[in-house]
Amino acid sequence: MTMNRILAIAREEIRLRLRSRLALYTLLIFAVLLTATSIATALRMSEEHRERSEQQALAEETFLSQPDRHPHRMVHYGHYVFRASPPLAMIDPCVDAVTGQSMFLEGHRQNTAMFADARASADLGGFEGLTAALVYQLFVPLLLIALGHGLIIREREENTLAPLLAQGVTGIELYAGKWIALAGVALVLLLPLALVSAAAVAAGGSMPASAGIIGLYALYLLVWCGLILLVSALVRLRAPSLGVLVLLWLGTALIVPRMAVESASAVLPIPGKLTTDLRMQEELREVGDGHNAAAPQYRQLRANLLAQYEVERVEDLPVNFRGVVAESAEADLTEVMNKHAEERMALEARQARFAETFGWLSPVVAVAAGSRALSGTDLATHHRFLREAEEVRFDFVQGLNRVHVEQLAYSVDMNRSIDAESERRTRMSAENWNVLDEFSFRPAAAGERLARAGAPLAMLFAWFGLLTAGGVHAARKMRP
Amino acid sequence: MPVLSAQALSVVRSRQQVLKDVSFSIPQGEVHALLGGNGAGKSTTLLTFLGFLAPASGSVHVQGRDVHENLAAARRAIAYLPESATLYGHLSAYENLRYFLSLAGTDTDRDELDAALDRVALQPEARGMRMQTYSKGMRQKVAIALAILRDTPILLLDEPTSGLDPVAIDEFNRLARDLAEAGRTILLVTHDVYGACHVADRIDLLQSGVLVGAFDRPPGMDRIDTEAVHAAFAKHAAA
Repeated sequence: MTMNRILAIAREEIRLRLRSRLALYTLLIFAVLLTATSIATALRMSEEHRERSEQQALAEETFLSQPDRHPHRMVHYGHYVFRASPPLAMIDPCVDAVTGQSMFLEGHRQNTAMFADARASADLGGFEGLTAALVYQLFVPLLLIALGHGLIIREREENTLAPLLAQGVTGIELYAGKWIALAGVALVLLLPLALVSAAAVAAGGSMPASAGIIGLYALYLLVWCGLILLVSALVRLRAPSLGVLVLLWLGTALIVPRMAVESASAVLPIPGKLTTDLRMQEELREVGDGHNAAAPQYRQLRANLLAQYEVERVEDLPVNFRGVVAESAEADLTEVMNKHAEERMALEARQARFAETFGWLSPVVAVAAGSRALSGTDLATHHRFLREAEEVRFDFVQGLNRVHVEQLAYSVDMNRSIDAESERRTRMSAENWNVLDEFSFRPAAAGERLARAGAPLAMLFAWFGLLTAGGVHAARKMRP
Repeated sequence: MPVLSAQALSVVRSRQQVLKDVSFSIPQGEVHALLGGNGAGKSTTLLTFLGFLAPASGSVHVQGRDVHENLAAARRAIAYLPESATLYGHLSAYENLRYFLSLAGTDTDRDELDAALDRVALQPEARGMRMQTYSKGMRQKVAIALAILRDTPILLLDEPTSGLDPVAIDEFNRLARDLAEAGRTILLVTHDVYGACHVADRIDLLQSGVLVGAFDRPPGMDRIDTEAVHAAFAKHAAA
């Protein structure tokens, strides 16, 4: 009987919505907005994905098609790597829009990622920021508030609560029926998200991560349903109920996320790039200049090599000493640069985790964190791109340095500036440029992404549990 | 055993004592009216029988069982007609009745619905229309029909004739008498002296939460003495 009553109440609520043209039209408008936003984002991401893949192939082809050169010239010629957005970025591009998706790789330097896509911004007059994720995080709760703030209050105002309860309906049954009706609307609103997720899967996205995103947003919207219904049960008039819910929306959707970012910056400040670059330059100076084999930093290296090969002069070494210096300097420089990069990334990650803890105060913060983790567009993914790009950089630079060490004689190398013929003799075969590995950045495995979304999911479950407990308490005390 | 009884009932609402030491009992098949002015505590008495309000002291019993210890059983036994019942405007009379009856676990077919609506004299052509187009009296008739269709042994009616025209009031009075004769027990609250005298077997006069008088229908008479009740009502209202 209990379940029959609950379902009857839910059915009646849905019938009311279907008969109310205003509610129906509002739902339709939101459905169109969601679908249009999702399709626009999906098309943009698909185009960007195709473009970056083409750029990556072109960059590799350009590098490999370089003519015979001195290997160190190829180190400075450099190479580009591109990060194609994961398919689920259709839903939540998140940091991809601001961090940049391409990087120039060259010897002795770690460049920052560049070319965040600004073209779409110009095309769409700023509306490119309206992603499916944002619509679900910010605007769908507003729609649910509009539809649900009076769910229980209406029964009081229209004098139908007493007849309902007098039929033997308990407060819990009434509350559950209303909850199911509102949750039903919320789940219908997830259909566009499901369609985009399916498109992402068709484009090679992870099925478990896509399912995770749908589950995450379903849980998030159910949290809002719980909050809306709880306020509707506790407040006795519609206007104050709407006011309270709009204030809660403002707090959780705008104020707390802002607080999270500001607090993270204040509690865990990250030194500016100029400061860290200057500090790193000081350390790099101590490492020495790999172009100058006579620099004092390489005396010990020279002594070790002479001893190892039991010769008196670097000219007698079976390897090119200049190449060995370049190789050694690159390793030392990279160690210093990686140390600073890792420190910076660790700070950024700590800031992100700190900001994420505000999800205990706002479900919007929690869902945003979970969404970008599952979409593969979070800070951790960007950091992995930086690390993988650095690995590519280091490997190809050291590969070229190895060519320098093993294939170019020291004496030829030293005399490269005498005349054109001497310079020509230092050119190595272009076949050596095959040291470049094909770069293809892939999103983390679904399991890893789900694990990263674990904390936000736990926060949303806590919100859901708390609101359900509050709802049960309010429902038990429900009186006409 | 009385079907409904209040024993030394006191109720406090919003820190104000609304009922003070009220006691009465109603046997099966009786129409019992609580008569009083605004704020006398009439509706509060009904809400206490339904378990929506808890007594500060004393108790209320339905079919011999304390309401607050057997809430579900009490509500199963009672059909309640609230004051100014609107039901759902977006539903027709048929849809409203089916919905509320389904919540009460009562299955009814169209013929039973029509029979109940016939008894309250709701025009057949209005029954399929949404109730937002109904007059107050028409809505009240549907609410009364709902109370009848619940087929419970007890009816609690809060100002049941409010909004009804004189003809409909007479029809309601006849209906209430028929139901009582069929064994249903009716407790109605009203401030309509004339109506109460015509329909009730007994009238308790309630003033500021205190029972200040009781009037029984004399044997063989078709109504309680209206003038006596009116005089008592006026005297206590002026006091």
